Amino acid sequence: MASHRRTLPETAAFLTAATVLLMLFFAGWVSAATVKPPAVAGLSEAEALRLGERMYRQGILPSGEPMLAIVQRDIEVEGTMFSCESCHLRSGLGSVEGKVITLPTNATELFKPFTSAAEEAIPAWSTMPQPIQWKIHRPAYTDETLAMALWAGIDPNGRELNWTMPRYLLEDRDMEILVFYLRHLSAAPSPGVTSSTIRLATVIAGEVPQSDREAMLAVLEAHIQARNGQSRREEERAKKSPFFRMKKTSAYRRLELVRWVLKGPPETWERQLADYYQQAPVFALLGGITSGEWAPVHAFCEVNRIPSILPLTRYPVVADSDWYTLYFTKGLYQEGEAAARFLRGLEEVPGDAPVVQVYRDDRDGRILAQAFSEVRGKLKQDPPQEAVLAPDSKVGKAFWQDLAKKHPGAVLLLWLPPRDLVGMEALGGLPEQPGKIFVSAGLLGDALSTIPETVRSFTYLTYPYRLPQERAKQMAVVRNWLRVKNIPLTNPEIQSGMYFAGWLLSNALMMMESDYYRDYFLDGIDMMNDEVYAIALYPRLSFGQGQRYASKGCYVVQLGEGSPPPLLPRSEWVIH
Amino acid sequence: MKKCVLLFTCGLLVAMTLLTSAGGVQADEKRYKRSEEKYVIPDVTLINQDRQKVRLVDLLHSEKPVLLDFIYGTCTTICPVLSAGFSSLQRKLAADSEKVQLVSISIDPEYDTPEVMTEYLEKYQAKPGWVFLTGTREDIDKVMRAFDAYVPNKMSHYPITFLHAPGGERWVRIYGLIGTSDLMNEYQGLLRR
Repeated sequence: MASHRRTLPETAAFLTAATVLLMLFFAGWVSAATVKPPAVAGLSEAEALRLGERMYRQGILPSGEPMLAIVQRDIEVEGTMFSCESCHLRSGLGSVEGKVITLPTNATELFKPFTSAAEEAIPAWSTMPQPIQWKIHRPAYTDETLAMALWAGIDPNGRELNWTMPRYLLEDRDMEILVFYLRHLSAAPSPGVTSSTIRLATVIAGEVPQSDREAMLAVLEAHIQARNGQSRREEERAKKSPFFRMKKTSAYRRLELVRWVLKGPPETWERQLADYYQQAPVFALLGGITSGEWAPVHAFCEVNRIPSILPLTRYPVVADSDWYTLYFTKGLYQEGEAAARFLRGLEEVPGDAPVVQVYRDDRDGRILAQAFSEVRGKLKQDPPQEAVLAPDSKVGKAFWQDLAKKHPGAVLLLWLPPRDLVGMEALGGLPEQPGKIFVSAGLLGDALSTIPETVRSFTYLTYPYRLPQERAKQMAVVRNWLRVKNIPLTNPEIQSGMYFAGWLLSNALMMMESDYYRDYFLDGIDMMNDEVYAIALYPRLSFGQGQRYASKGCYVVQLGEGSPPPLLPRSEWVIH
Repeated sequence: MKKCVLLFTCGLLVAMTLLTSAGGVQADEKRYKRSEEKYVIPDVTLINQDRQKVRLVDLLHSEKPVLLDFIYGTCTTICPVLSAGFSSLQRKLAADSEKVQLVSISIDPEYDTPEVMTEYLEKYQAKPGWVFLTGTREDIDKVMRAFDAYVPNKMSHYPITFLHAPGGERWVRIYGLIGTSDLMNEYQGLLRR
């Protein structure tokens, strides 16, 4: 890659030559502009869009080499450092960060004149007297003027763009592909939105207990009702409002929330989802709940590029680069991860101390064990030993004593549910007593007292929630909201989660105004401030470009004496 | 009444003129704002991209000149440009790049783990001498406050680079996104002290 780097003088020469060539090319191109080819010559539309998308998102040229550019007048950058998407975001609608505003580069904004006036103003600006009409900051881009902006940073008015916008060193054909992509980027509103309605779905997958289903639906429907209640007469204002903030008022749409109920084996769910979607597409999925699997819904959303906001699932899909589903946490995986990081930082446990994972060969056990092993590998530590329990094997006092004798003084990760921890008091007071024991709050649930007091002094619990003693204030917010909505508090976990999901939806829609593009919906969430108030179960939910697990932390705690035992934090919320 | 209408109309026209002149496209005539400040570095221990503990005071008061900024791994506009600037400076300094200590401090410590920071530095082709630090939110907040750069939320941050000469009392504070030649000039000015 380094062998392809141009030096600065070469770059400057290239830039000058490109500008001159552009001028010459420009004259010919303009005359031929009336006969616009349907796609980039020699490429199918799909291939041109794929290549253009890769340039825009990853900064990679069709040749596979990184795009090259100059930023801030003299900084050479490669597309792999940052790309168009980094600043203009996936939707192309731009970003706001502090006082730095990045303007939209999607098709509808680029290829129309740029003015500060709201298009939907009543009366139309074009009918106003000339002196008070809004100035057009720039005319609509054409393919040619857009290429000029990307090459030389000159807008159609001949003005120089701010140098924070890179000047790209692109061959003609590569430029043609990128411009073609921009012509299609957020060019039309996404499905699921009409002039009066935004249609959303919530998925109920598998045999979800009726009480859980009702707890989720009651909260989501209360949010929908609140928006549709039009306490500020939004529909009327959209029709009659004067020009001030017209775009904000005309953006108003009623929300429609439909239920997509998935039955039968999970292998059939994608088909069922496709059928629902075909009957009436939705803009996004909101919340959702499952008795087990969520992966088929995740996959459906990924393939069809449908946002899915904060489903309630024990098994979120843990993936580095998937885009369309935003989860609360990584689930049990996050606990295994936290245990590995915490253990590494314990000075009293030597790096070569024996470490044994004990788990059932079931899904929960495998997730925790996999997370712990993977992170331990990343931390360059020896892999743990494993004691995997067969589904029908019994655990009791003898089992624990044998385990301790076999691994004297070891660190034991007991990724087991409460019923399998019976008799573990036998681990205390032995000559071979374990050095440390780790258990999972996700597996223990409310049964924390399962951990006998005799082993609590060397037992640690991964706890991926806000500590109970710090939860009252935030829970009161949820409780009061439920009271106002006349909803009984039946399941704080589900209800506080969906309270936040509705809150998030409301904020994202407000930010979007009438730019109803699915990618912009997610971009908007990515740009939101970290949230510490409208949540009860987690200390902080944070977002950012591509961040898909809103809660990042997990405490490691010990249990004090008594039942229920107090939780004594032994780590920070985030363990590095 | 007529006077009121006239005043209102004039006010409206003035406001519109001001608004319409504030376009999205502008030349950056004034490239950055510079000042010299005294800062008291808090005694905190942060974690670098290799998961090593780093006592900030020791790092910043070493024998090397220091350039410092506040960034985060998934930042949209400000940090990519700041980091491209650090990367470019290291390239220009070539063999001398290890003689200057570049320090980037995460303002999104929940997400910016050592793995994320390592990947970030690789993306910007960082050479030895550029360290990316994370830590607890409390410690990061202390550092931001000490440099008069505190933001309650990462989305509210702004572009600042700080420069410090070995043994110097004052820090040069640069507000704005700047190019390599400007940064290099500031750096060389620091060495001449």
